[in-house]
Amino acid sequence: MSPRKKVLLKVIILGDSGVGKTSLMNQYVNKKFSTSYKATIGADFLTKEVTVDDRIVTLQLWDTAGQERFQSLGVAFYRGADCCVLVYDVNSAKSFETLDSWRDEFLIQASPRDPESFPFVVLGNKIDLGEERRMISQKRALAYCQQRGQMPYFETSAKESINVEQAFEVIARNALAQEESEEYGGDFSDPININLDQERDGCAC
Amino acid sequence: MTSQQASSKPDPPSPSASFYDLSDDEEGGYNTITHTSTTRGVKLLYSKSKVYVHPTPSAKDNIPGFIALVQQKPAPLSPDDRPNSSDSSGKRTNAASYLLAWVPEASLAQDELSAYVKVDLKDGESPPKQTYLVPPPPVATSFEESPVGPYSFSLPLSSIYSIHVRPPSLGWWYGSIVVNTRAGSSLPALFFHDSECESTILQKKKRARESFDPFGESGELFWGGDEVIRWLKRYVMVERSTAEPSIYLIDPSEEDRLGFGQGRKSLEGKHQTVNPDMKKPNQKNPPGPGMDPLTKALKETRWKILEQLSKVTTFTRRTAEDLANNKNIPPQVRRLIQNPEIQTLQDEFDSAKLYLARWAMTIAEQSEREKRQRIWTARDALDSEETSVGDFEILDMEAGKMTLADSKRRPVNLEEWESFFDSKGRLQVTVDEVKERIFHGGLDPEDGVRKEAWPFLLEVYGWDSTEEERHAYMNSKRDEYVQLKGAWWDRMIEGAATPEQEEWWKEQKSRIEKDVHRTDRHIPLFAGEDIPHPDPSSPFYSPDGPGTNVHLEQLKDMLLTYLEYDTPPSPTTSSAPHYQTRNPHPQNLGYVQGMSDLLSPLYAVFQDDAVAFWAFVAFMRRMSRNFVRSQVGMRAQLSTLDQLVQILDPKLYVHLQAADSTNFFFFFRMLLVWYKREFEWSDTLRLWESLWTDYYSSQFHLFIAVAILEKHRDVIMDHLRHFDEILKYINELSGTIELQEILFRAEGLFRRFEKTIEAVDRKNTFPEPSGGELRQRRPADDADGKNQDSSTSAIATGTGNPSSTAAGSSSTLRQGLPARPRQAPAQQAQKGKAKEVEKRAEQVVTPELRLLLSRKIITFDDEEADVAKPRASGLKD
Repeated sequence: MSPRKKVLLKVIILGDSGVGKTSLMNQYVNKKFSTSYKATIGADFLTKEVTVDDRIVTLQLWDTAGQERFQSLGVAFYRGADCCVLVYDVNSAKSFETLDSWRDEFLIQASPRDPESFPFVVLGNKIDLGEERRMISQKRALAYCQQRGQMPYFETSAKESINVEQAFEVIARNALAQEESEEYGGDFSDPININLDQERDGCAC
Repeated sequence: MTSQQASSKPDPPSPSASFYDLSDDEEGGYNTITHTSTTRGVKLLYSKSKVYVHPTPSAKDNIPGFIALVQQKPAPLSPDDRPNSSDSSGKRTNAASYLLAWVPEASLAQDELSAYVKVDLKDGESPPKQTYLVPPPPVATSFEESPVGPYSFSLPLSSIYSIHVRPPSLGWWYGSIVVNTRAGSSLPALFFHDSECESTILQKKKRARESFDPFGESGELFWGGDEVIRWLKRYVMVERSTAEPSIYLIDPSEEDRLGFGQGRKSLEGKHQTVNPDMKKPNQKNPPGPGMDPLTKALKETRWKILEQLSKVTTFTRRTAEDLANNKNIPPQVRRLIQNPEIQTLQDEFDSAKLYLARWAMTIAEQSEREKRQRIWTARDALDSEETSVGDFEILDMEAGKMTLADSKRRPVNLEEWESFFDSKGRLQVTVDEVKERIFHGGLDPEDGVRKEAWPFLLEVYGWDSTEEERHAYMNSKRDEYVQLKGAWWDRMIEGAATPEQEEWWKEQKSRIEKDVHRTDRHIPLFAGEDIPHPDPSSPFYSPDGPGTNVHLEQLKDMLLTYLEYDTPPSPTTSSAPHYQTRNPHPQNLGYVQGMSDLLSPLYAVFQDDAVAFWAFVAFMRRMSRNFVRSQVGMRAQLSTLDQLVQILDPKLYVHLQAADSTNFFFFFRMLLVWYKREFEWSDTLRLWESLWTDYYSSQFHLFIAVAILEKHRDVIMDHLRHFDEILKYINELSGTIELQEILFRAEGLFRRFEKTIEAVDRKNTFPEPSGGELRQRRPADDADGKNQDSSTSAIATGTGNPSSTAAGSSSTLRQGLPARPRQAPAQQAQKGKAKEVEKRAEQVVTPELRLLLSRKIITFDDEEADVAKPRASGLKD
């Protein structure tokens, strides 16, 4: 058996305001949906411990404000991301059309080592509103994701809890793969081996 | 142990189980069984998985393994090798045949592994009925000798001198044990990763199910290490040292007992004698086995958690019932008290630890406050004096100066408000006097005085206006509002001049709609949504839109009207006979998130869209710099906070630096919507009216931020080491902050800041900056009441003798007539001069800090010069 460690995976959720970023995150972590979320201001995150292929990992899901002008100040939480989730509302063409911008924005701010292979996952949310309200067909979304380096795509409903679990499983898996592919430098700066409170995985957040 | 393995039930054994699982009724018969891989097996009595050695500080080097208690064939076969708890001599003789062992997972063959797993998952107090034989772990008295690899060991219990037990605590995420041998060496610490250990999780759950008690036998939270001590107790004497409660002595001799057991009580907890090289995270006088006081208390308290928590901080004790009924207790804590499903506690305990630390503080302060209504504030401020800050001089900070008479902290009601005005409705006291009252007392939330006073505070009305003037003014503003509103309404229906504009307005409208429907819906005014849209002709009308109500629709209309007001007229629209904005400085903000949060309290108080609209326009004069694309206002304020914390609490600042948190991003939300997400609705209104007075500073809201930070500085410094932890912690303060206390702290901080700047200026022998931007406050010189702020004397004299305060104020009041406008032209004229002084002071006091002493509102125009061009982005905003 290989030794296993607890891993913290940082996932950034981006997308236009009102597409359901907070709702998706809450549905996944707390199994709750509320129509009375307030617009996210600043940034916040939730954590969830999950098992990916037998490994226990802690997902740290970052929720941000959806208005572009608020992004420039929040560089701090982009750094060290392991996966980026792009969310749009299938009933809003605008929110789909901005996905590229969010993607670019992320790559600029987070500047991952290898932007080409950095994992993105796309979620088309609010499918519960019905086909007659839908503006972006699944086909179109799939084609888009295919073009952009085969980003995994899920159509979700945070409200009805459709596909949320599945989507985040893939997100966790891709984040873990990304984390593992990155070599981290030795963190042996502290010679005292039991100085646990220095340790990253111990945090209660 | 993998989850698959964990899920297989060990009992009863399956036929296909490992060949070690030989059912054996005879306890002593195991040694007759031989098998292929080893000549002689040992009997596995107990094991526990996910016990790690941490060879380096890096988590990725951790080695998982099993701790186990095994029995080897005793040399002379004892007739009864089952332990007999009453017979300690029997235990003594057994000690050599029982071994405590640790083996790395990786060293075990699959069938051995499965035996360890099965024994680990064996349900029950005693060793498994059937015998599990495993190859004997390498016997080694020091881990270097082990053939299986470094760190693995097995030791006869007889050669163990003591075990140093460190339960999990705030500082020690994983509990651990260290075995000290009789030969005098210490084996590497073994860390119990309880959250990964299936058996510990099951045992915790079982405990919770059966007894509603997640705590271990000694009243501590149950963890893996408890189990090991329990195993040992079955076979040897285990005595907890009274001198070092974290040390468990194994089969102690009389001498050991004397030396270690009872002997040195006075040294209890002072230092570690056994492992001097084991660094504890909490080195300042730990009261117990490596635990901080809070955790220790938590663990000792069982169900009286909260009662004890208040003891922790040495404040009054209250019964759990009292607390349960107290609505100020955070829901998570209340749930702990009220919910008999201990499962919840068990599951939430880890994450609750930190919050309990915070709540312990809050609860303690609350009860203390209830006990001594008036004194707490003063002392509190003095405490905060001592906690943080350096050795610069602190003047006038005696308790007396900070304690205002009760009459000054009472809200201003309608009657008192009306008494400020003469028969023509003109103010007959000084503006500062009114502001001082509102700053400290707030306005009565019930009697409608806010409706009267807020337009003054927001400077919709001039302070020197008469009733008649105000009436006329508002009438014309009403017309203007109707025109503005009509302009976008028409455009929405008739279509805009260009497709781009059309698109832009449509986009704005949908943003506004989205946000209004998620703004303050818990307030009854905005809660209802069963009403169909009140006006089918409205551009916001949509047959399948969300349920709405008339007040939500008003919010939407006002926000779009604000855009109409704020958006510069486009040259291409000149053909349309639309209203041209009279706004001299349109900023073209567009709708930005947070605006709806700023508008809704105004509307809720006025319940008059035109008044609320102009109040919003006025409010936005000071807030718009936060909403511009460049975020220049937010950047400036976060940077000022950086400097302010540096000067007010350098130690905390250094900690925040180490935690990579000096971007102060965790204040973003507070600054953008002025603490609306942190405080309850009613407190928000109360806070805003204080802030609008600009009584000390137009930037007083920054002192509120520092006050919140200061209040939690100890928790932050002791427990939070990373940006994400601090952000989360600050975000979750929402709904737990006591406004009065924070206002008080902020006032103390402002005064301290002011004194610091004065002291710096004096040291640098600057000429006193004359008036203008910098308000000097030297109450001692102010005795004659001339040429000074009436507010200062109100505070200075307000303590001892209320009647003299009244007399003092009324005399100032007459001198002050007519009230001096706050932004006197003289002040502007002084600006240049003050700037010159500032320039010379720059090395010590930055202009940003000096601005904090000014009451002049900072607007976007002030900062426009510094506007950093926002990075071009594909996102249209």
